[in-house]
Amino acid sequence: MFGFRLQTEQPPEPRPVADGVVMRLDDVYEIDPSKMQIVRQQNMPVSDSLRIVDSRWEHLVWMHDHWADSVLSAEEQEDSDE
Amino acid sequence: MSVVALSDSVADELRSILGSDYVLTNKSSLYNRARVPAPFPVHRWNEHIADIVVLPETAEQVSEIVKLANTHKIPVVPRAGGTGLADGAVPMTGGILVDIKRMNKILDIDLVDRTVTVQPGINMLKLNEELRRYGVIYPDDPASYPCSLVGGRIGTGGWSLIGARYGHTRDLVISMQVCLPTGELIEVGDGGGRKIRKSSTGFQLKQLFMGHQGSLGITTEATLELVSRPEAEFAAFFGYPDYETAYSSTGALAKSGLASLAGVVLFDEWKVDYLRRDDEAYIPQPPELRCVVAVAAYGSLAETKPASQVIMAIGKETGGNYLGDEVSQGDWAARHDRYATPLHGRTPEGQVVPMSWHCEDAAITYSALPMVREEWHAIAKRYIDDYGVFDDWGMFAYTNGAHKPWADYLVEIDIGIWEQRLDDTVWDAWVQCKREITEVSLKYGGSITACHGSTREGDAEFVPREMGGGFDVMKKIKRVLDPNNIMNPGKNRLDEAYED
Repeated sequence: MFGFRLQTEQPPEPRPVADGVVMRLDDVYEIDPSKMQIVRQQNMPVSDSLRIVDSRWEHLVWMHDHWADSVLSAEEQEDSDE
Repeated sequence: MSVVALSDSVADELRSILGSDYVLTNKSSLYNRARVPAPFPVHRWNEHIADIVVLPETAEQVSEIVKLANTHKIPVVPRAGGTGLADGAVPMTGGILVDIKRMNKILDIDLVDRTVTVQPGINMLKLNEELRRYGVIYPDDPASYPCSLVGGRIGTGGWSLIGARYGHTRDLVISMQVCLPTGELIEVGDGGGRKIRKSSTGFQLKQLFMGHQGSLGITTEATLELVSRPEAEFAAFFGYPDYETAYSSTGALAKSGLASLAGVVLFDEWKVDYLRRDDEAYIPQPPELRCVVAVAAYGSLAETKPASQVIMAIGKETGGNYLGDEVSQGDWAARHDRYATPLHGRTPEGQVVPMSWHCEDAAITYSALPMVREEWHAIAKRYIDDYGVFDDWGMFAYTNGAHKPWADYLVEIDIGIWEQRLDDTVWDAWVQCKREITEVSLKYGGSITACHGSTREGDAEFVPREMGGGFDVMKKIKRVLDPNNIMNPGKNRLDEAYED
């Protein structure tokens, strides 16, 4: 079952985006596989990669809400100054 | 393991105090409570195993356990979250490991006098989830916020990310109940009142029982400060082309005089290079960005909004380039939980390997930061070149003084250590590297540690030098309070108190 999911959710080929960094999914940075010869990168279905990324954003939003009622934006402040 | 072997009869007595479910002797229970995230001699793991683990639920049970240990002269090692970046919770000579995680109750919330009284095994994040409904928080915010516990924060004399605004652990604990090494339960605070913030009665005993690394007793209850839940949070990250400009900007921001300023932190070139390897906030940054200064503010909207305007003005006027809301807000939120760092190690050839995390945490004055930075990186480079199992993860300097962030800084150099390659030769090299780093801190009039404690090899041997005549006082206090040296022996060189 897991193998079937990997086949149907195989990510695209990686493209270099910076020194030692590749990208296969939009906004998901990955270490260049050539740098992972000792610790091997595991294959992961696209849906799992996206789930982890989404969870990360949810975590950051949660942390903001945990600490304060509102988050002030410098960009909005600069816009209103102009 | 223990200097004095723990007999079956002692184990039976512990079971009679706690019930058999809360007295553990199986291998996984013992080995999982041996180390902390600090560098650890994994090749000598067996030397740091307790004989038995106990999980008390009440102060009275802690008292009974310690009385029993004192009677039989058995070492006692208190352990909270086990998240420390020094080895205060690591058993040095076996004995009874007191794991306080079951002592996690909120005992009293007083919204009139603004205190919350808790057991020491509660986690700050969980505590604040409960407090939210009352519009208050307990603002102690380490980088291990989701996983460290109040008792460990007290034992290490913890440092908070937002300490410039709200104070650090020692400023936020009003009073506590402590189980002394003889098993007696006492109250310590400012004077005698449990909710009094300032007293001139007697000695100021509260600070004596703060940051002692479990060597003077076990905190069994703590009464903590409550502050109004912030209406607003503001974070701004600025980029700079060189260290000198970033350093100057850091000083200007720290000296802004803003009451809502929670912290200012300077990332040097090595830190930015490290983050650029695999941190989504830094990978896309242009190469001319070499250093970063981050600022955070909390408080009422009436305070924080104008403060944010002042922060933006100072940041830009001193050469900073604002990195945008996404980086500023996202990276700041991630600062409350930085324990993924060990997953980011590299060999000198650039290969990814898991590394343990040495987090040097000296306190250094602003004027000495540039020199310390140069000398620390030079030391790290020598050991990286010679051994190939270390990695320089860069430095940061973070405002250190509670409510007065303008003078001294918590200064970290983070060094990765490839644990799979540890043996006695590499470990000895690491300790020697650590000693050289410590020498630099003392040379510039700094302190070995701003937050983790001075228990590690490479730190502990310098405690007498840093403390001077105060170390003799420490030894006398230790010997009077702990006549049999049962409380976390082997820490802070306090075994020397018993040598004559």
